[in-house]
Amino acid sequence: MNPAHPPGWRRLLRLPLGARSIQRDVDDELAFHLAMREEKLRRLGLPADAARAEAHDRFGDTSAVRDECLTIDRQYAREVRLMEWLESLWSDFQYALRTFRRMPTFTAVAVITLALGIGATTAMFTLVNGILLRPLPYPDSDRIVRVIQSYPEIGLDTWGLNQMNVAMYRDRATDFASFAAYRGGSVTLQGPTGPQRIPIQRVTSEFFRTIGVGPAIGRPFTADEDSPRKNTVMILSDGLWHSRFGGDPSVVGKTIDIDGQPYQIVGVMPPHFAFPRPDVAAYVPMGLNPLWRFGFFNAGIGRLKPGITPEHAEAQTTKIMWDWARQQNVAHASVDPSKTRMKTIVKPLHEALTGASARPLTILLAAVTLILLIATANVATLLSGRAAARQREITLRSALGASGRRVLRQLLTESVALALLGAVVGVALAVGGVRMFTHSSLATLPRIHDVTIDGRVLAFTLVVSVASGLLFGLLPAIHAGRVRLTSDLIAGQRESSRGASRRVNNTLVVTQLSLSLVLLIAAGLVLKSFQRLTQVDFGFHPDGVTSIALPLPQRVASDARRLNTFVNAVLSRVRAIPGVQMAALASAVPMSNDGDYDGFLIGGRAAPPNGNEGQTYRIGVSPGYFQSVGIPLLYGRDFAVTDDSTSLRVGIVDVSIANRYWKGAEALGKRIRTTGDTTWFTIVGVVGTVRDGDPALPPEPHLYQSLPQVGDNPLSLVIRATASNGSVIAMVRRAIAEAEPAIPLDDVKTLTSVIDQTFATRRLTKLLLGGFALVALLLAAVGIYGVMSLQVANRSREFGIRLAIGADPRALVRLVLGEGAVLAALGVVLGIAGAVAVTRSLASLLYDVSPTDPVVLLGLPLLLAAIALAACYVPARRAARSDPLSALRAD
Amino acid sequence: MADTETDLLRSSLDLLVLKALSWGPMHGYGISEWVEEATESLLLLEEGTLYPALHRLERRGWITSEWGVSDNNRRAKFYRLTSAGRARFRAEAPLWHRHAQAIAVALKRTSMETA
Repeated sequence: MNPAHPPGWRRLLRLPLGARSIQRDVDDELAFHLAMREEKLRRLGLPADAARAEAHDRFGDTSAVRDECLTIDRQYAREVRLMEWLESLWSDFQYALRTFRRMPTFTAVAVITLALGIGATTAMFTLVNGILLRPLPYPDSDRIVRVIQSYPEIGLDTWGLNQMNVAMYRDRATDFASFAAYRGGSVTLQGPTGPQRIPIQRVTSEFFRTIGVGPAIGRPFTADEDSPRKNTVMILSDGLWHSRFGGDPSVVGKTIDIDGQPYQIVGVMPPHFAFPRPDVAAYVPMGLNPLWRFGFFNAGIGRLKPGITPEHAEAQTTKIMWDWARQQNVAHASVDPSKTRMKTIVKPLHEALTGASARPLTILLAAVTLILLIATANVATLLSGRAAARQREITLRSALGASGRRVLRQLLTESVALALLGAVVGVALAVGGVRMFTHSSLATLPRIHDVTIDGRVLAFTLVVSVASGLLFGLLPAIHAGRVRLTSDLIAGQRESSRGASRRVNNTLVVTQLSLSLVLLIAAGLVLKSFQRLTQVDFGFHPDGVTSIALPLPQRVASDARRLNTFVNAVLSRVRAIPGVQMAALASAVPMSNDGDYDGFLIGGRAAPPNGNEGQTYRIGVSPGYFQSVGIPLLYGRDFAVTDDSTSLRVGIVDVSIANRYWKGAEALGKRIRTTGDTTWFTIVGVVGTVRDGDPALPPEPHLYQSLPQVGDNPLSLVIRATASNGSVIAMVRRAIAEAEPAIPLDDVKTLTSVIDQTFATRRLTKLLLGGFALVALLLAAVGIYGVMSLQVANRSREFGIRLAIGADPRALVRLVLGEGAVLAALGVVLGIAGAVAVTRSLASLLYDVSPTDPVVLLGLPLLLAAIALAACYVPARRAARSDPLSALRAD
Repeated sequence: MADTETDLLRSSLDLLVLKALSWGPMHGYGISEWVEEATESLLLLEEGTLYPALHRLERRGWITSEWGVSDNNRRAKFYRLTSAGRARFRAEAPLWHRHAQAIAVALKRTSMETA
């Protein structure tokens, strides 16, 4: 309590609190003073008007004094009213808690129901808040944009930047206060405990200034270190600094062995810095060559100057890009780039990072909101059952002088108190749930490390739970508040008021059923598309295949003869291991996205106007790759050991390329080349198509080349083994170490797990949405069960009498089931209508399933109706067993 | 200066009101008469300034008011000390004494020397 108020302050309530009485009191008080003074002056002998003038004179500015007093009194009245309100609210709240203590079962059921709804909503909002709503943890992060490029005409909807692009945006785009580029990679760190492969980012020197966060120890890169031969410096992540260097600050300035070259550590990033990904172990200058026109692998980030929009920067950089394209003849000479859809894409960094998660997260948040509504309706049903039982208490309070509004407020306080209890348990559930989730392997969402329960989440929970308390309190409370005294104080007059509460309850049940059906249908659609998606033929057989990343030391990779020797040595050793059916090397395993995209040309065909036939995914592989991964060889032959740097350049294409220009085996002997290379490759084989990325997209054309002829690095070893057990892998590791000891072998994955990862976000959506739909179904079943039980209990007298006069118990079962069926049917019809209205927004989550899929749209309603009827069966049986005698004894 | 005097008066007026009410309930006019008499008319304050002070003290919970009937049978608003007001007065009065004394001693000094 406010200490300014003495304990007995409530006596002050007798003071005027209304505006008009405050004025009257002040006027009366001042008038009394003036009158007394005037009287005294007159007694001293002054004439009447002189006495009045003197009294006013001695008083001072009457109207100023009056105003000041009024202001003070009005403030005071406001404070008193507020205190009174809070105090009575508190007493209502305490009363509510006492009531709950008297009915522990009801309270427990209601609190658990609400806790589920509020907890799920809080947990989901925590994700939405951490990932979508909270700004990125960088200074003025709304000014940071990501810059990539797009050229739809050549099949590149998104396209990275080459080093020349990076240099020209950095030097010529005046919209940026600073501009930098980054690309992922990995390096081999040699140390006393053996080689370690670490994920790094290759960045330009402005990277740290652009993102706005620099090293916690040491210094950022200098502009000088952007030059190719001066880039042998490294900034460690906090994680690597601790795991590898024991958090020793003196490590700055030391030299370490990276890929066989000495690098100097110049700094350590602060903890929690996780851009662009949390697993980055170190940053290295990319050694920018402003003349290098190949390798469109870099992403740009820019910090916009104040007041500049991303759109403006996009227009500016696009223009720079066109100038470059004209000069480089990127588009065919006959087409000016401004006539193409070639452009840059400049997006706020936050959107670029999280845009893909926005829709699934929003849909999941909508789904939990439905659950909360269903839970709220359940509690409303529970409460209305109790409101009927409490009718007499309420009537008594009304008779004792409590106004309708007062009773209503008491009831609403009770509901809100109930909701707040639910919120406390719900937040505890959410804390546990979110913690479990973010630490699980399911958590593949961007920015997941930014997810915590903060003030905004708690405020959200508070608002949501108070709103739900008001909502479920309002329906029965309005009804109870309307109780008429006279009719209700006379016992036995209960049935009439129950008619009204029954209508309320029936409405609630229908709402619940239809809401849960909407969720069920949404989940059904997502589930079905997920199933379709996992049944997609990837074009290879991942079972039993393991891949091990093999980053080769530069001295091996850059020397064709040594590479050839290494490839043959590793393969012959590994294939000799018992349990290994086949093994091969490749520059990219399926789904790894490690290969190169490049335009391609067909020998004998004139180059198309846009410069190439299309984009192909290019992979260098050793003999045995197709067999190892399970890609069928359709025509021609596999690569052979003899396809090395000294022999004819050969390639293998997939059947989509073969059938586009020839027909099947006719492709053999034809020539193909990539636009990044001038050598023609003779096609010696045709293999099946492979889906190598998002399984929802059609397969892309693949071009395979003989590894010793292209010298890719890093490589992966793929092994098809009868048993994918640890001992085989251990022997494989030993075999590789014997062939070349300087290779780190920490990156071992099964192909099935790689595929699983590409499904991660979809699987997460499916799991959560499916789980939410089940919870909704359960709540709705409990809801209809509760309502039908209540109605059967309320009518037990009627049923008892019917039985007593010879009604067939089975007819009573049918009667109750019939009423339940009507509710279920209404709920189903409304639910289907609702589902049809909202599932359109699901379209982007669906694959090969229409939002109005008939199986889902008809099957699930039947399921729901069956469950609803089953939930009605128990109360129906109870009705049939009503005891005629106890019914007559009631009251 | 007028402002200085007003500030000084306001804080001392609060204390005087509490002192006046320590004798028992009084209406505003009675308090102003008592203050005038008790200070031997040395405090030249406009009578009106008393009322905002009273309302402020009431809002702070140190005094409370009630309508009653005055000696000459008029309706008048009577103020009374609350227990919080009494405590406040007991705490404040000695402070004021010390304060006034300290200033008086200082103002009487005739030389710059320190002892």
